[in-house]
Amino acid sequence: MVDHGRISLKGVNVFYGKNQVLKDISLNIPAHSITVIIGPSGCGKTTLLKCFNRLLDEVEEARVEGEILFDGQNIYAPEVDVTQVRKRMGLLSQKPQVLPMSIYENVAFGPRIHGLQNKKKIDHVVEKYLRLAGLWDEVKARLSEPASRLSIGQQQRLCLARGLAVEPEILLCDEPTSALDPQSSRNVEAQLLRLKENYTIVLVTHILRQARRLADYVAFLYLGELIEFGPASEVLTSPQDPRTRAYITGEIS
Amino acid sequence: MLRQPLSADIRLKRRKRLDRAFHCLMLISASLVVIFLLLILGIILGKSLPALKISMITRTPGTGYYLGQEGGILNAIVGSMEITTGATLLALIIALPGVIFLNTYLKKKSAWAELIRLMLDILWGIPSIVYGAFGFLLMLTLHLRASLLAGMVTLALVELPILARSVDETMRLVPSELKEAAFSLGASRWQTATRVVLRQVFPGLITAILIALGRGLGDAASVLFTAGYTDRLTTSLLQPVATLPLAIFFQLNSPFPEVQQRAFASAAILTLMILAISLAARFLGRHLGRHRIK
Ligand SMILES: Nc1ncnc2c1ncn2[C@@H]1O[C@H](COP(=O)(O)OP(=O)(O)O)[C@@H](O)[C@H]1O
Ligand SMILES: [Mg+2]
Repeated sequence: MVDHGRISLKGVNVFYGKNQVLKDISLNIPAHSITVIIGPSGCGKTTLLKCFNRLLDEVEEARVEGEILFDGQNIYAPEVDVTQVRKRMGLLSQKPQVLPMSIYENVAFGPRIHGLQNKKKIDHVVEKYLRLAGLWDEVKARLSEPASRLSIGQQQRLCLARGLAVEPEILLCDEPTSALDPQSSRNVEAQLLRLKENYTIVLVTHILRQARRLADYVAFLYLGELIEFGPASEVLTSPQDPRTRAYITGEIS
Repeated sequence: MLRQPLSADIRLKRRKRLDRAFHCLMLISASLVVIFLLLILGIILGKSLPALKISMITRTPGTGYYLGQEGGILNAIVGSMEITTGATLLALIIALPGVIFLNTYLKKKSAWAELIRLMLDILWGIPSIVYGAFGFLLMLTLHLRASLLAGMVTLALVELPILARSVDETMRLVPSELKEAAFSLGASRWQTATRVVLRQVFPGLITAILIALGRGLGDAASVLFTAGYTDRLTTSLLQPVATLPLAIFFQLNSPFPEVQQRAFASAAILTLMILAISLAARFLGRHLGRHRIK
């Protein structure tokens, strides 16, 4: 049997108004690995991630064409419940965006809206995912404090814990370390490497060294087109396309 | 070549002079505001001093109160609180779902949303005597008498646009990234609105409620025909109700100086109540925002 990957994109086009920002993207994201999307700023990486969990639905001027199959089902099919799609994919955004509530409530938010009510179970979930995101020891004594009081690096790991708490299968990460200091970045990277055993991770970055450290597969996006996709060792060391080579050697950025 | 530094120097001097002139102007205008407020408070308090007794706020008018005999304006204080609290609650119940709808279900550039905002702005600008006349007409068609209920509904109409637009403005400032964070956790629009957006705007919501309360407390024209007036405490929605603005109006109309002084005392009490609400709005706005994302 041919492995189609967890997520397959088939001929995906995205427009903002009349402006086409993603052009005929076809791509298979393999399970239990980190697929890194690289490319210069403005090439459409964030847009691509927002296609996966249909967050582009909320952007008024955006229009998506084509199919995105998740375990064989087209998530853009009319009968699909968009909240269920999003529940199965956690999103870690570029700037950590904590919710206006306590640290505890931030993590409990997802499980609560999906129906968990038992206080003991919620306590358990909160601790479990704060541990998984490597934040528990730092916040266990101040769970009822506003999340906005955490440092920016802690906020990003809180967002990770919050995303994990809805028990997604896919993690979508959009330059999750770009707002963080080097120490916090390392910390988040370490969590991602640990998590790939159990999750399928799609990571957007414009830091090539980060791609080298984390990637199993690499996709190079340029001006809205998917130029190259393959195992990290191949794409990052011996790229086939001259544009990929130019990007990796730093000639275009 | 030689002239250039010279003219630059002159220009710099002129700019400095202009700067100082504007600085003076701003100082004058700021002091005028302060002086004005102190003057109003001073005069009203001064005028009311002879009448300011504890019985003013603990008793209802006794027989012959309007001729200078014993009594107070407890009826109007309690009445004003009843009618304004009721009206504000009513306005809130109508405004809040509408504003949530405007901000989370309609598109940002929706023509409908713009139309609704425009209409609210127009409603805001309509003088409250017009609402009073409208309420009066409504009463006549429904065969209602002037009562707490009729006054409350009319006052709610006055407060509705104020409340709706103030809350709307704070909701519009909620960053779209915050909503996206909730959406990407699988929250529905309703959940995002009630559990995230409302929390984020909570301080603004409280401030808006207090502003509407203050406005309702001081409004005379809308209750003039609709709420009636009574010397007793109001215990039912269908009884007429006394209000502070009308208490001031009636007492000021009296030929007796003692009664006129009581009008100023009533004005002082009303002013203090509004002052307290304004201060509360300031304080709460600052302290409820613990969890707000900046
Ligand atoms: N909401 C939007 N409306 C219009 N154009 C947008 C919007 N968001 C992004 N774009 C445009 O789409 C292109 C791709 O943006 P993005 O996906 O954010 O790129 P990247 O994440 O790779 O930097 C850019 O040219 C950007 O200006
Ligand atoms: Mg981006």
